[in-house]
Amino acid sequence: MLFTAGIPVTFWPAPNHKAVRTFWALCGRSEFLRLCVYAPCDSPNTVLELGHPAPAIPGLNPGSGAALVVFFETDCPTCRLAVPYLNKLAQGARVIGISQDDDAATNAFVQQLATAFTVQRDPGFVLSRAFDLTFVPSLFLLGSDGRVLRSHFGFDKSVLNEMAARLQCSPVAEEFDGVPNSKPGCMSRHLEPQVDGESGPAPVTASARGVPASIMEIPDGEDPFEYCFRTFGDGLPVIPPTTERIARMLSGVSAERSNVIARVPPCYGEATVEKIAANAVMAGCVPDMMRVLLPLVRAVCDEHLNLHGVQATTHFAAPLIIINGPIRNELRFAYRQNAFSNVARANSTLGRALQLILLNIGGARPDGIDMSTLGNPGKFSYCIAEHEEANPWEPFHVERGFNRQQSALTLFAAEAPHGISEHTARTPEQVLKSISYALATVWTYRLCLGSDALVVLSPEHAQTIHRAGWSKQQAREFLFENTGVPLRAYEGAPDAEGSQMVTKFQEILIDGDRCYQKFRSPESIRIIVAGGTAGKFSAVIGGWVAGPRGSEMVTYPI
Amino acid sequence: MREKIARRRFFFGRLSSLKGMKMSVKLINPMNETPVRVSVPPARLRSLEGKTVGLLDISKTGGNLFLDRLEQLLREQFHVASVVRTMKPTFAKPAPQVVIEQLRGADAVIEALAD
Repeated sequence: MLFTAGIPVTFWPAPNHKAVRTFWALCGRSEFLRLCVYAPCDSPNTVLELGHPAPAIPGLNPGSGAALVVFFETDCPTCRLAVPYLNKLAQGARVIGISQDDDAATNAFVQQLATAFTVQRDPGFVLSRAFDLTFVPSLFLLGSDGRVLRSHFGFDKSVLNEMAARLQCSPVAEEFDGVPNSKPGCMSRHLEPQVDGESGPAPVTASARGVPASIMEIPDGEDPFEYCFRTFGDGLPVIPPTTERIARMLSGVSAERSNVIARVPPCYGEATVEKIAANAVMAGCVPDMMRVLLPLVRAVCDEHLNLHGVQATTHFAAPLIIINGPIRNELRFAYRQNAFSNVARANSTLGRALQLILLNIGGARPDGIDMSTLGNPGKFSYCIAEHEEANPWEPFHVERGFNRQQSALTLFAAEAPHGISEHTARTPEQVLKSISYALATVWTYRLCLGSDALVVLSPEHAQTIHRAGWSKQQAREFLFENTGVPLRAYEGAPDAEGSQMVTKFQEILIDGDRCYQKFRSPESIRIIVAGGTAGKFSAVIGGWVAGPRGSEMVTYPI
Repeated sequence: MREKIARRRFFFGRLSSLKGMKMSVKLINPMNETPVRVSVPPARLRSLEGKTVGLLDISKTGGNLFLDRLEQLLREQFHVASVVRTMKPTFAKPAPQVVIEQLRGADAVIEALAD
């Protein structure tokens, strides 16, 4: 048992959210000892001998040329981390992905990560057993004669580059691109204990088993609301997370309560299903909201978002949740008037639940590790939904690679909204010009290329732009080309923020004025449509440090 | 009984002052309870003379100016044996392992935090 008389036993097998399950499963295998003693990250941990023929893979003829075979799990963060690099490799070499999960999870993975290589499933773990892997991702480089030339488990940029070289491809992984150089993987699915037999369906939300939450007792005479307000809150009263309320909240999902969904930075607390449910209760969520909360917690801990930095910075950034798809109406998210405000239980409680999770599980206390100088009112709750019905273009999640009928959530490390009133302009150019002036002030006026921005168009502004036949991409390119900072703004301010970096900026002409271009590319400006159908008010929301060296927007399916 | 109270104090933290009262409402602890490994900080150095000092630039503007001057002072006034200079690729993320490794042999590390 992990839990003895209520005391969590301290052990620390690996900085990996699946470590607990891996530990216990491996205890039953002789490899565990070998792993403990010899386990450098690059040891293959497979009985497949280099130079020997690989087991037959359906659809892959041994004489058809060299190939890289990659085993992965859809909920393994390390596997997800590796996909963009494998996509690059697939441009010049044959890459075959083998998913250890079921069709639904595999399809979602393929769609969400836009895999550029062939993916097939491994029903019954036949191939996994034949290759005898212990961890995922497991990579096997097969020669043109079908023999194993190299194998590796986990993520390692240097190994990927080495394999790329052996496949006559250019390097696929840069050293400092914001992703760690190496990361241990998760235990292979076929070695995990399965309650309904080893060939049972793979758990969709299961990631690892965490330490069960302890039970706290409040004495008679103590007001539970006052106690919780003092102990857990965000400065506002919370609903006490009683065992009965947690049980009702957990009825919203089928996941086991001790499963770890993610480890939440900056303190990397285990967000188990029951702890997520406890914070959801405190925030006032309905049980159905657990369907959104589990992928939301996964998404907020995605390394691309860089929650560690977002939660510890002195900047204003707070994760803004954007909801798309049918779930908006199923759970009654507000997206009409007051889209950013206190109009719907769904928006308010989902945003608040996330913030409570970041506080209570992630440990980003506003009086401690969260060092934001001025903070952000979004740290109470920051959740909007797109007004897809009033959006004349494709919904935002479709632009991000999902089907219209797939619900999705997007996270953006965001400042507070900056409003723009434009009630008299009648053309797309004039409306977008007004928005571009606000965009130029993102982060700080003189600093270019530093951050991305989100433009929230009101339905009326979107209609004005669309009526003239403009696509969303055209609007975005117009904003990109017309947002800049005049060179004269730097005169007499050599020490001002941005002034010392002008050599890196791109000079352009805007209306005859010499300017530095504000953003890196049109893709740095994201456009969604939200709000009431009356009122020509849009908003610009600045981001935090942009790109792989800071925070990147993430979108996850719900 | 004393054991029981001590255990309760361990589990319930601030509720320990209420020992002896009848317990009723039960809550699921919503806070982080993940076991962590605690490290003891090394003893403070009595002198910098002859020591190796690491200087970590987190890559914020002006960090190099501060550390250049600091290196000069360490060498001239404190007679350190050597200075190891390294830099994080981005201030927005934790230091990668390669940077940590560069500082591993230092007796002390000074970090230039911000602008």
